[in-house]
Amino acid sequence: MASATRYKSRKTTKTITHLILHVVLVLCSLVFVFPFLWMLFTALKTPAELLRGIQQFLPARPQWSNFITAVQAIPFFMYLKNSLIIVVLVVTGTVFSATTAAYAFAKLRWKGRDKWFIVMLATMMLPIQVILIPTYIMYAKIGWLGTRLPLIVPAFFGGGSAFYIFLLRQFFKGLPRELSESAVIDGANHWQIFVKIMLPLSKPAVVTVALFTFMGAWNDYFGPLIFLSNPEHWTLALGLRAFQTQYGGQYNLMMAASILIMLPTLIMFFFAQKTFIEGIKFTGIKG
Amino acid sequence: MKRTITVRMMKKQENRAGYMFVFPWLFGLIVLGIFPILMSFYISFTNYDMISPMEWIGFENYRILFTNDSLFWKSLGNTVYHVAIAVPLSIFVGLALAFLLNNKVKGMSVYRTLFYLPNVVSVVAMTLLWMWLFQPNFGLVNAILDPLYDLFNIEPLGWYLDQDLSKITLILMGLWTSGGSMVIYLAQMQDIPTTLYESAEIDGAGWWAKTFHITLPLMTPSIYFNFIMGLIGGFQVFTMAYIMTNGGPSRSSYYYAYYLFDKMMADNAMGMASAMAWILLVIVLIVTVIALKLNKFVFYMGEDS
Repeated sequence: MASATRYKSRKTTKTITHLILHVVLVLCSLVFVFPFLWMLFTALKTPAELLRGIQQFLPARPQWSNFITAVQAIPFFMYLKNSLIIVVLVVTGTVFSATTAAYAFAKLRWKGRDKWFIVMLATMMLPIQVILIPTYIMYAKIGWLGTRLPLIVPAFFGGGSAFYIFLLRQFFKGLPRELSESAVIDGANHWQIFVKIMLPLSKPAVVTVALFTFMGAWNDYFGPLIFLSNPEHWTLALGLRAFQTQYGGQYNLMMAASILIMLPTLIMFFFAQKTFIEGIKFTGIKG
Repeated sequence: MKRTITVRMMKKQENRAGYMFVFPWLFGLIVLGIFPILMSFYISFTNYDMISPMEWIGFENYRILFTNDSLFWKSLGNTVYHVAIAVPLSIFVGLALAFLLNNKVKGMSVYRTLFYLPNVVSVVAMTLLWMWLFQPNFGLVNAILDPLYDLFNIEPLGWYLDQDLSKITLILMGLWTSGGSMVIYLAQMQDIPTTLYESAEIDGAGWWAKTFHITLPLMTPSIYFNFIMGLIGGFQVFTMAYIMTNGGPSRSSYYYAYYLFDKMMADNAMGMASAMAWILLVIVLIVTVIALKLNKFVFYMGEDS
């Protein structure tokens, strides 16, 4: 009898802790998610409604035209095109250089491999500024300043992809060696093994790398800020900053423009969240 | 005999293939990595504005920075302040979120996705959003805090427009992305074998004992990883301040990387900027080595007990 009551009371405490836990979790979620909603509400308000702050919680009549105004205030589609050019090429280049390097590190024995691998890990620790100044001078000397090339070309040579090489190497290592050995016996060369066996089997890892690279390049601000001096080449991130300096106080328009630049990565994340979470876990734990 | 020859041939072939596959990356590493690092070390001892020829001036850049540049010390101080608060705080928040989600709650993966969300958006857009939230007169943050201001009878805070709060404002905004490290902590937490907890429970261990003697020691690898990444990122903090405060008010959020950026892009003082980059590198290196020593200590303790 006594133990039954004790059991019951323990069960009640458990329910109560669970309830508290859920309340805390919902509150935390609000902190992470509500700013996005507030952003949308703001983007749909009139300037007069903005001044009323929280008193005007929702817009009385959603001003969808704010989005049109924001898009027309800057050469939005030019920036979009520029962003896409850079992003597509950077993703292509990174996938190419990261998969080839990872294959060499994971599956091939060559002189100095392990030393270079440590060098690669060490590059992750470097502050970018140490490399930035000489490369900036180099690009100036060969006439690449003011073009998109400094943002694109390095991607084809493994620029900034140490993490991805690491991730792909771990993945390649997990693939059975017999696969490539039997292909060698059948007379396939390493390039054929790489393209016909390794890459198709590593699709999840390659997709992860492509997604992360897309996001990094789409959201990148510092690189374009340094290298894209010509406004005709500006990306959306730079365009948004230009928008801010021009329309500083008009937060409804600024939020509308910000939503537009956030949307592609948010949508992508929702569709591929599992891939993302797995990729992050991987770099964090195995790294 | 014939067999060893083919094996040796295959090894040679594999060696060659290895170099071919690694070539794009290796070429990039040497031309866009190692060579620039050595160059920047050299440039840091010169005076160079990209127009007139490079002029060797020895330690002059370093001497000026250390002894005759108050802005150097100001920006370094701001950055150290930022790192010293932001790095531990974000580890604490990330861990706290992971502990919350590690309770077998329903909808765990939904919460995890929601907490992670801020990590996928552009820093520029995120900063603009938080400028609006922290906006002292019409912003959401002050509106929510309004009852508290009334209760304690204080003036509403000015956040990024107040030189005493600008750095804190940027740190608070940065915490919004704590979900990134949380995912890593949570994954490692869930890797801890439950048998460990079960045997500890038999020995009469409560929540505190389990947390401090099992969970946290076993999580030192991921805490260390986030600590190092936080340090390296923290010393280079730039974009948030560039967008939100322009380094102000009164240079209160003028960070080291911001000053370096101005030296490089506004003044074309490549020698001075390179010297600053190398000082930054040395600082990051020293802090990392200290952290490495610390990590060994913590980790081995965890393994022994």
